Amino acid sequence: MIHRRRRTPRSSTLPLHAIAWVVGAFVLIPVVYALIGGFKTTSELSGNPFGLPRTWETDNYTDVLGSGTFWLQLWNSTFIAVVTTVLTVGVSALAGFVFARFAFRGRELFFTMFTAGLMFPFAVAILPIFVLLRTFGLLDNPLGVILTQAAFGLPLTIIILRGFFRSIPGEVEEAAIIDGCGPFGFFWRILLPMARPAIATVSVLAIVGSWNNFMLPLVVFSEESSWTLPLGIQQFQGQYASDTARILAYLVLAMVPALGFYAIAERHLVGGLTAGATKG
Amino acid sequence: MTTLTRGPEAVRLPAPSPATRPRGRWVTIALFLLPALVLFVLLVVAPILVAFYASAFKWNGFGGLPTDFIGLDNFTRLFGTEIFGQDLWHLAVLVLLSVVIQLPFSLAIAMLLNQRIRGRALYRVVFFAPYVLSEVITGVLFSLILSPQSGMANQILSVFGLDSEWLANPDTVMPSLFLVMTWKYFGFHMMIYLAGRQNIPNELVEAAQIDGATSWKTFRHITLPLLGPTIRISVFLSVIYTIQLFDLVWILTQGGPSHSSETMAVTMMDWGFKRSQVGYASAISVVMFLLSLVFALVYQRFVMRRDLEGATTSMGERR
Amino acid sequence: MKRSLVLFVAAVLLTGCGGGGGGASEEGGAPSKVTIEWWHLSTAEPLKTLWAERAKEFMAQNPNVTIKATVLENDAYKAKLTTITQSGKAPDIFATWGGGVLQQQIDAGLVKDISADVADVLPTFTPASLSAYQFDGKTYGLPTDIGLVGFWYNKKLFEKAGITEPPATWSAYLEDVKKLKAAGITPIALAGKEKWPGHYYWAYLALRIAGLEGLKQAATDHDFTKPDFLAASQQVKALADLQPFQKGFLGAAYSTPDGQAATVSNGKAAMELMGQWAPATQKDAGKGLGDDLGFFPFPAVEGGKGSASDAFGGGGGLAVGADAPPEALQFVKYMTAMENHSKAVVAGGVLPVLKGEETSVKDPNLKQVASLLAEASGYQLYLDQAYPPAVGAQVNDSVAELIAGTKTPEQVGQAITEVAKSEG
Repeated sequence: MIHRRRRTPRSSTLPLHAIAWVVGAFVLIPVVYALIGGFKTTSELSGNPFGLPRTWETDNYTDVLGSGTFWLQLWNSTFIAVVTTVLTVGVSALAGFVFARFAFRGRELFFTMFTAGLMFPFAVAILPIFVLLRTFGLLDNPLGVILTQAAFGLPLTIIILRGFFRSIPGEVEEAAIIDGCGPFGFFWRILLPMARPAIATVSVLAIVGSWNNFMLPLVVFSEESSWTLPLGIQQFQGQYASDTARILAYLVLAMVPALGFYAIAERHLVGGLTAGATKG
Repeated sequence: MTTLTRGPEAVRLPAPSPATRPRGRWVTIALFLLPALVLFVLLVVAPILVAFYASAFKWNGFGGLPTDFIGLDNFTRLFGTEIFGQDLWHLAVLVLLSVVIQLPFSLAIAMLLNQRIRGRALYRVVFFAPYVLSEVITGVLFSLILSPQSGMANQILSVFGLDSEWLANPDTVMPSLFLVMTWKYFGFHMMIYLAGRQNIPNELVEAAQIDGATSWKTFRHITLPLLGPTIRISVFLSVIYTIQLFDLVWILTQGGPSHSSETMAVTMMDWGFKRSQVGYASAISVVMFLLSLVFALVYQRFVMRRDLEGATTSMGERR
Repeated sequence: MKRSLVLFVAAVLLTGCGGGGGGASEEGGAPSKVTIEWWHLSTAEPLKTLWAERAKEFMAQNPNVTIKATVLENDAYKAKLTTITQSGKAPDIFATWGGGVLQQQIDAGLVKDISADVADVLPTFTPASLSAYQFDGKTYGLPTDIGLVGFWYNKKLFEKAGITEPPATWSAYLEDVKKLKAAGITPIALAGKEKWPGHYYWAYLALRIAGLEGLKQAATDHDFTKPDFLAASQQVKALADLQPFQKGFLGAAYSTPDGQAATVSNGKAAMELMGQWAPATQKDAGKGLGDDLGFFPFPAVEGGKGSASDAFGGGGGLAVGADAPPEALQFVKYMTAMENHSKAVVAGGVLPVLKGEETSVKDPNLKQVASLLAEASGYQLYLDQAYPPAVGAQVNDSVAELIAGTKTPEQVGQAITEVAKSEG
């Protein structure tokens, strides 16, 4: 029955649009509530949750922006995300190169070991990681989070990069060798530049993973000065428990970088996540 | 790229390169692989081994290494507690809800956005957006929205003369938690399905429709079977994720009220970091590890086997 | 150059040993800069401001000292403090409730024995306020607050329900709860999400029924299955069966805008069982009851071994980390000196810990608490602090389940016993 309407798509898309609108409302209402709520006072918020604010209070937002802690947490999150990404992608690219272009005994064994890592995020190992980082003196040190995140990011990154490196024809390598490139020269000057799209994808994945990480920073960082945004939000909620509007403002401001990044890197992010998922 | 690959074929020479000389080759392999290996062994493999080791001790986690060996006592104690059974039950409930509601919902939305409707790119961007927000932001936001006294959700419901205690009631906490999980994750599964759907040649679907199949029949007999591998992967991811579920629960309920939304990871953190029984908590993480491992192996062996075979053969052809 | 370095190192090492409150300023030349990490959980007024002022004054008097305060809300504080102590460190100064939790930190070598350094000021404190921080005759912290847990109630709502005077016995209390319910008033506000407020009911009932000795005995025997504890659990259940708590209490926090304190503060529930900080938190989280707020001690339980004048509660103290600079201890002494500490007492943020400070208490309710405390025949610290962390957490947990109706009184005793044995 419906297949006939396909010929005249105009008339049949209305119910589809209706569904999409309902789902869109489900997704957007909480975010919009937070955005507008941040412009209200807490006392107004309980009486008037949906309407526009009677007066647009900017204090909640400006207080957060003026506090310094927000910016510090933003910086910590950024720093950790960037270093994690560089480290993860760099180390994985080297390993992925070997896995893709060298045949050697034990290759499949090593590769299987890395892929097995896909199944085990932090939760399983968080206590021992804590103990190990304590032994290395890396608690309350950004490196503690960075190195651990990088280690757990290796499997997916290696798998994706190896897949890409393998798809580059052997003739390219031979040509490079004839041109006098060593393996590293080939890797550095030819393979990496060619793999730019794949590297963009895995970088975006690493950035998002690091940015949103909560459990690891939760146990590694006890000093406020090294907190990342997720930790800061949780703490802010506790500290200003009685000031809902202010918490909403903090939430909204913390959403901005993530959503901004999503707007810029949407293609890589979506491509990476789905590729990561389907290759895992 | 194509010019690069074509050119050198003419001048293929058997010149000995550093990469082919045995010694140089091994040095290269070792050097390139070493950083990844060191990082992985130190921070992924070793911790898991340490967890196994610590789970055999009574240990409060302070200083040094554990000394008070108690064998499997931590495990017998764990299996004897009601909380562990509850954790497993919550896992089963969440997996079931995901498979029965969340994933079909995501699939339906993906099929919807696969139609030629105006603004579908925008819908896609919006639906996926919650996935980008961190669990903490999601959790804090919804703990405010679902607050039984002054939260937005109850204010909406009150228009219809309804209300709910949401996360504050043992009977409603799991559905509420699932609601939040769906808000955050359905967009992700939707994207996977969309990607999977795009790999299905449109000709197949169109041919079926020309043959007079209804939309539902086309979906049921053409699209759905071809999406099989994608769906199996999304189920796999969903289960593995649920086994380790922590952030959202920790922020929303801390496992409460009275353990009615507790997950294994929450139980582990509770004992490990709040109660200083690190040995016991390690036993919990070992169980989580084994559960993930067994599930992954069984699932890949029996459910995803066909997909994996397909993958290897197609790869073989390509090479 | 080299010699001066050696001298410098020696000086640092010597001061690191904590030699009698000397401080860096005595070592000729400019005193070296030190930063003191101070963790506390006074997120509510008036203490939030008062503590910050003390820190500022101290820094003004000691320009080489920077005090970095980390202020966390109760639950987050406990979690973070556990994490950092497990990481083998302690903040230079941190708020503590003493008891078994502090004991575990001392055993791990994280807390400084300050006996010698505070010998001069010890006699100025009331013995009751100090006891939670002293082990085997050694002192590991100085108190900033001491009080007891009792019922904070709304006089107007009690009147409305026809209750003329606060209940003196537990059975009268249960009757009053019924009266309040019958009058359409929510009798009790409870923060079910945070489990510690619920444990007060069980702890007080256990104290009344089993007595101080009974509680001590149970802790050393690791046995909480005795009839007295069962009776305490049954009484908690009897109370919970009346469904006296506010709607959604299982998900309610303590100090949030719809939490326990705010519910009482906004007149939406008739009472809460809480410590001496209740009035301050109520004001912070809600409208405040003003003169309608009253206090009555936990009622006596008929036939119980404990005296009705035994008190349950605690306060707060400041402990010094093992590696803290000497200035940290100086600051703790500064905070607890009469002229500084009494300001917080006057403001109603804390109760007297120093002898002769009683006159500074202005609020009539707090005066009542202070005098009850002074006349108390015995004193039991919060169970979740007195016992080792795992046992204390289990008490909180099991009582929460009892109140939620998911565990029977028998199961509560068994669960606590099991964990106590695992620690023993």
